[in-house]
Amino acid sequence: MGDDDAELVALIDNELDESRRAALLARLAADEWLRQRYEELRRTGAPLAASLDELLTQAPLARLRAALPAEEPPRQQSRRSSGIALRDLAAGIAIGILAAGGAAWVALSLGLLRERQDWRTAVVEYTNLYTNETFSPLNPDASLQAIELRALGARVGVNLTPESVALPGLRFTAAFMLSYNGAPLGVVAYVDSSGAPVLLCIIANDAPDAPMRSERRDNLSLAWWSRGGRSRLMIGRIPEERAVALAQTLEERI
Amino acid sequence: MSEASRREVRAGLEPALARLWRYALVLSRARDAADDLVQATCLRAIERADQFVPGTRVDRWLFAILRSIWLNDIRSQRIRQGGGFVDAADALTTDGEREIEMNITASAVLRAIDRLPEAQRETVLLVYGEGYSYAEAAAALGVPIGTIMSRLAAGRAALAKLK
Repeated sequence: MGDDDAELVALIDNELDESRRAALLARLAADEWLRQRYEELRRTGAPLAASLDELLTQAPLARLRAALPAEEPPRQQSRRSSGIALRDLAAGIAIGILAAGGAAWVALSLGLLRERQDWRTAVVEYTNLYTNETFSPLNPDASLQAIELRALGARVGVNLTPESVALPGLRFTAAFMLSYNGAPLGVVAYVDSSGAPVLLCIIANDAPDAPMRSERRDNLSLAWWSRGGRSRLMIGRIPEERAVALAQTLEERI
Repeated sequence: MSEASRREVRAGLEPALARLWRYALVLSRARDAADDLVQATCLRAIERADQFVPGTRVDRWLFAILRSIWLNDIRSQRIRQGGGFVDAADALTTDGEREIEMNITASAVLRAIDRLPEAQRETVLLVYGEGYSYAEAAAALGVPIGTIMSRLAAGRAALAKLK
């Protein structure tokens, strides 16, 4: 049975050469038990792929990005034989990204952004992936905040400073770049006192000016407006009124 | 060429982070070790960027580095320290304390993968998660294609037992 399983799986995976494939197909035509086994093994494919995809969504991306080494890592450190005494690098939050010449362009491996026509829908989808642990460990000092925000602001064409994006009851944790259909999409990530993420997203999408609107999607509240060819969006697992209030605070400043 | 190598490696790190972490988690079955392994991989990749051949796949190169660090440094070190990973039950579906939220099918499948021996878990991940062909997986793991076939068959057979 073991050998049969290996052949059947290779057939399913289209990895058999022509002669073995033909021989196995001939056996399958004549053997009902083998056909049943083929079907049992074939059915594992889709859930297997979906489950492995599920693991991808669990990757602690913010933490991993934050620990990326700076442009030129200290040579003596990287030659350490153990190779794992690296947690101290986390202290250099985002510096590796910034040293590379600006805020990072994050290629979301999930492909969500490319597939959505509505950028707010895309933001909702990736915001749903964030947990209270995603941004809480990040705690950049004021000078690093200023550098991150300046880099992000330059990409989306909006002047941003720690003061202009400061919000009551929220702590700044990170600023990073995504893109949506080729348009730069900057994200300023905050956490509230419980660690829950609240995001300010700014996209340079040439949208016409539009007054603030708000809505609920999934468990998220959204408040957004457009001015000067840029749309802004506040989003988080917070009451809708709170999202609007936060957005109104920012509307006067950015 | 070395400047081009460095640029490609540097640019390839961030897009590969989630996939590197998944590979690290499947190998180590421990989330803290997975974080360390990815960080060590990134550091070593930058340190050895001159060895990367521009125009080839950065992600596959990073995977090979991760695997090498796992085999030569982290796993052996944990085993030397007597820790090991063998008793970490359901490492792919819990964070050590809590069940991670996911649908029932994914959870059951990951539990089944979790129970496979390391070589089978790794082969399943590379072929079904990363899209390696059998020949590519055989080359990456340094085993004959027949071994890849039997590992994948064992993995699928374990999943086929799930109802």
